[in-house]
Amino acid sequence: MTGRFAPPALLLITALALSSCGAAAESDTKSTKPVSGGILRYAVNTEPSNLDPHASPSDITAVFTRPVLDSLVSLDPKGGVHPWLATSWQVSPDGKSYTFELRKDVTFSDGTPFDAAAVKANLDHVVDPKTKSELAAGLITPYKGTEVIGPHTVRVDLSRPHSPLLSALSTPYLGIQSPASLKLGADALARKVVGSGPFVIDAFTPRQGITYHRNPKYAWPPRGTAHTGPAYLDKLEFKVLREDSVRVGALTSGQVDAIGSVPPVNVSQVKADSRLWLETRQAPGGNYNYYPNTAKGVFSDVRVRQAFRAAIDLKTIIGKLYFGVFQPAASPIAPSTFGYDPGTEQLGGYDPQAAAKLLDEAGWTARDAQGYRTKNGERLTVRWMFVKMIAREQRAVLSEQVQAEARKAGIDVQFLDVTPSNYAPIALRGDYDLSDYSWQRVDADALRDLFASANIPNDQGGSGANASRYSNKDVDAWLDQTLDTVDPAKRAELYAKVQRKVVEDAAVFPVYTFNYVLGAARRVHGVTWEAQAYPSFYDAWVAAR
Amino acid sequence: MSGTVPGLRHRRRLRAVLVRLATSLLVIWGAATVSFAALQLTPGSVADALVGTSIVSPQVKAQIIADYGLDRPVLTQYLSYLGMVVRGDLGHSYQLNESVGTAIWSQLGASLQLTAAGMGLALVLATVLALLTAKRSRWIRGVSSGAELVGTSVPIFWVGILLLTVFSFQLGWFPAAGGDGLAGLVLPAISMALPVTALLAQVMREGLERALDEPFVLTARARGMSDAAVRLRHALRHALLPVVTLAGWLFGLLLGAMVVIEQVFSRQGLGTLMLGAVTGKDLPVVMGVTLLTATVYVVVNALIDLLYLVIDPRLREAT
Repeated sequence: MTGRFAPPALLLITALALSSCGAAAESDTKSTKPVSGGILRYAVNTEPSNLDPHASPSDITAVFTRPVLDSLVSLDPKGGVHPWLATSWQVSPDGKSYTFELRKDVTFSDGTPFDAAAVKANLDHVVDPKTKSELAAGLITPYKGTEVIGPHTVRVDLSRPHSPLLSALSTPYLGIQSPASLKLGADALARKVVGSGPFVIDAFTPRQGITYHRNPKYAWPPRGTAHTGPAYLDKLEFKVLREDSVRVGALTSGQVDAIGSVPPVNVSQVKADSRLWLETRQAPGGNYNYYPNTAKGVFSDVRVRQAFRAAIDLKTIIGKLYFGVFQPAASPIAPSTFGYDPGTEQLGGYDPQAAAKLLDEAGWTARDAQGYRTKNGERLTVRWMFVKMIAREQRAVLSEQVQAEARKAGIDVQFLDVTPSNYAPIALRGDYDLSDYSWQRVDADALRDLFASANIPNDQGGSGANASRYSNKDVDAWLDQTLDTVDPAKRAELYAKVQRKVVEDAAVFPVYTFNYVLGAARRVHGVTWEAQAYPSFYDAWVAAR
Repeated sequence: MSGTVPGLRHRRRLRAVLVRLATSLLVIWGAATVSFAALQLTPGSVADALVGTSIVSPQVKAQIIADYGLDRPVLTQYLSYLGMVVRGDLGHSYQLNESVGTAIWSQLGASLQLTAAGMGLALVLATVLALLTAKRSRWIRGVSSGAELVGTSVPIFWVGILLLTVFSFQLGWFPAAGGDGLAGLVLPAISMALPVTALLAQVMREGLERALDEPFVLTARARGMSDAAVRLRHALRHALLPVVTLAGWLFGLLLGAMVVIEQVFSRQGLGTLMLGAVTGKDLPVVMGVTLLTATVYVVVNALIDLLYLVIDPRLREAT
């Protein structure tokens, strides 16, 4: 309740509003019963350059389009799949065909009815080379085609079993758009996306933000929402405020109602403010990790990899740098991911003595004038493919602290001059020793992107996310088996094996788990979280000022 | 020139205008060519820049290359670009999914508002400051030039954050973001005007002081003219010439300031458009903005030459 801070005139207005409207008065004092109406202004730190999630790979595209797009199925945090636009589905015994029964009462906000043909149009649009999909098409690589079986029955055919299909379908990247809107082409979709969701886009203004209004006909939320029927908010507005201090200032001064990406340094300030609340949600999928090049160079020796990991006290560095907002990671994937193996927490901690011993064993025994270790006259140098230009979350500061720690162990970390324009060629050539990125995905299938040998960066296909260039027959086999089985327990077991193996082999140096940090005014209620740790505004409502 | 035949004088003037036009076109073409070459020289290919740090499938990459004709030789790309520009088509952005014309047009208004407001404010403030402080006692000039030094050396980014903290977050007088009318323009304009004011005030005061030392000022005073009138009617005009020259040059400085101000105040504008285009190797947009700024440069310089004539009657005789 903000009344304590409001000037007398505002208090009077509030009092009048309360006395005239019983429902509002009740909710305002108790703050439990949702009220309909009002606007919620939410400030974010970045914006999509393309709104079409079928094409754009950015997280922020998913954030901007989720209010508009429904999916065929929904995912709960435990990896369970539930009906949404599809009421039920059947997987063929060979695992290559998924037959979906669809809801019959759904219409897109432009009036187009939702049916089997719409599903086909969407999936075909995703894989169409003209869409230039940078992520969505990669989520359904074995996609062969979609067959319209009846007006509300549709069969998706795959070239091989692909058990992550359903969780992929639950993401906004495979969100269902109006077929009429899809026909308008890439330029139109980049600015406006039409779906069947609880909100409808009014306008997307690059470098300013996006505005939505409520879809008054909405009656098909996924399972687990607090209410059914249209959203409470009349309007929803995302503002793009890139500067951290400006975003925080806009929240504390009441110019916006909520902000995303509260900087770790401001978290305690927001928590201490009685007019605000703060919530964090751990993002599932690949953590922010360092990936050593296991195929060539100094890190092709497993002892050097293990030594590097043991030489750096990441736990302490991360604790100090992020004030406990992001947690140090043990596994390549986040604990919130279904299939996470807590056993990894016992592996590979900070141990400078062990590091020194490993390096001695690996033959890096001599020291040069600067104190770096050498072998046959060559300095122990790690060349890091670090893209400073797009580094977020103080990763550049972190990398410099890692460099300083490595120096103590006699390892010379050097940063290669890499920009987004020349990243791909360097990655394809494998001309680096260390690489770093996060790989947030809705489930543990992220492990396949990160460690299957088919996904080593190459110009033939694959995710290219295996920058460790890790190639292990067992791991490849386990990852293949995860695709064949739909049994969650069996998949979890396989994912656990993979995690332990890659951590033991030091094919990854887990760094930190990203948390989405949301700060909001007290009068904002009912904001929930998507499976991918984005805020969801369907249940959200704002109390009167 | 009163003795020349009217026809000859006319022809000479026409020639001067034509030469001016030709050199202007040359400048614009040069700017476009240099920026085209510079972008080709930065490391990495356009197709790689467009997908950034994601590794895409060979089909997607082939589609990107086909869509933008990136497999053609650089010279062909350059010539076909020039051909399009001559026909009045600036092309289609690689990144923004819209035509370059639309992209620039949608950002132009915000940038013009900011530049006009910032520049106008700076000129007024600098003139007032210079008039009040020129040839005054030592401590007034000291305080003023000290403030000017601070003004030119403080980063705009920092000024912007400071203004926001005080006038938006604390006092709540102005919005933190958005170009909603005049209220949203005040703080960005002040941030932009501050360093410009400081620079112009220094130059103007120096000019004023030089003018005030001239014999004609003494004559004016001897005729009993007040100090204010001497400053305003005689000295100011003399001090304006270097300011006008500088203002043309400042225009380039403002484009750089724009990038920072747009970022801090979350404004639309050409600065951010250009920054994104350069980092993403979005050649058509870079070229479009370059062509626009080169054109504005040429126009501003032409206007400045005309302004010289207005300010200094002695120059009029020469043409």
